[in-house]
Amino acid sequence: MRFNMESRAARCAVILVAAVLTWGMGEPGSGIQLQLSPRVCTLAANERQCRTTVHANWHSPREESLCLVILGRSDVKRCWEHYSEGTYNIELVFSDDLLFELRDSRLETVLASEALRIIREAIRYRHRRRDPWNIFQ
Amino acid sequence: MWKLLIASVLAATAASGAARASSVADCDADSPDCAAVGKWNVSLALGAGVRSNPLVHGQDLPLVVVPQISYYGKRFYIDNLDVGFTAVDGAKNSLSLIASPGYDRIFFYRSDLQNIFVNLGGPTGGSNTPPVPFPSRPRRITYLAGPEWTFNDHGIIGQLDVLREVTGHNHGEEVRAAVKLPVTRSTGSLSATIGLTWQSAAIVNYYYGAPRIYESGSALRPFLKLAYTRPLGPRWHFEGVAQYEHLANAIADSPIVAHNYVVTSFLGFVRAF
Repeated sequence: MRFNMESRAARCAVILVAAVLTWGMGEPGSGIQLQLSPRVCTLAANERQCRTTVHANWHSPREESLCLVILGRSDVKRCWEHYSEGTYNIELVFSDDLLFELRDSRLETVLASEALRIIREAIRYRHRRRDPWNIFQ
Repeated sequence: MWKLLIASVLAATAASGAARASSVADCDADSPDCAAVGKWNVSLALGAGVRSNPLVHGQDLPLVVVPQISYYGKRFYIDNLDVGFTAVDGAKNSLSLIASPGYDRIFFYRSDLQNIFVNLGGPTGGSNTPPVPFPSRPRRITYLAGPEWTFNDHGIIGQLDVLREVTGHNHGEEVRAAVKLPVTRSTGSLSATIGLTWQSAAIVNYYYGAPRIYESGSALRPFLKLAYTRPLGPRWHFEGVAQYEHLANAIADSPIVAHNYVVTSFLGFVRAF
């Protein structure tokens, strides 16, 4: 009985160590962090498009081969071979939210993604002055 | 009385604070009765028109280029030469404190801002020499301030201003009231406006009186205006205006006044920018 208890404890310890080691090793593409700056573009009431330089930065616990793309913008693509981090600066003009994605080198699997959102300042309306005295009212 | 009116408007400002957000819910970009907050509105009328000058030897005021400028903040607004602070902005009623220039100076000075605003062309200068000796003296730019109540119901627009001269030149009072009625509305719209101005003796004498020569009492000035508007596109519309204003005897009897009426007419095209 005591032997069984010790045996179970040993098994649990082995499983725990294995889990920790597996987590440390990681699956390809896991643990990748993508950061954008800025993350939000605010449009004034009279503006239709955002024009800004976006700074994209990624980190991985291991070397990766991947590409940074923007969904719906096939003209933007930046790839790295066997790097554990990377940065990319690009000037963009856009009128809708942009989704940045880090994909594997075949562009099949999304490894990480981050959105650059547009916030539009709401246009408020109020009543005009009702002025029968005005020559054109 | 006047202070009580001002206090009432300020009290309404505080009372309407919570309800105001919903009071402009009927406003959007497509409503001609509404304007975007924080945006300047500029338009220019090009055409031909005239405003008669009732003064002796007074030259009529040609209307060729007529700019219109307005700006609306959340409560503050500029409407040509008038400024206002809106206490209550409702779908049917609104209550504001306004400041508006004294109107009659336009007949004495062609350079008055109200003339520059109305007319950027035509001859300048003029004579107001009366047939009897009348001391020449300046009529300063004056501003009147006070509460303004307007309403809009089924296309009928009304306005009532109770004003006092606040620039210290005559300390007079003035009441302006007008109602605009839609007459026809199809592609174009025809409207009729009836209104009146009541001016206290202090204002009448500031412009038309002289001590020991001519001193008058208060004056009532009714007017009738017909206006036709026809849109010609998103930024252009045609405008035709004819207005007749009758001057009370308190003004017409002055030695420097030749006519007991002021007629204004204009036909032209208005371009919004």
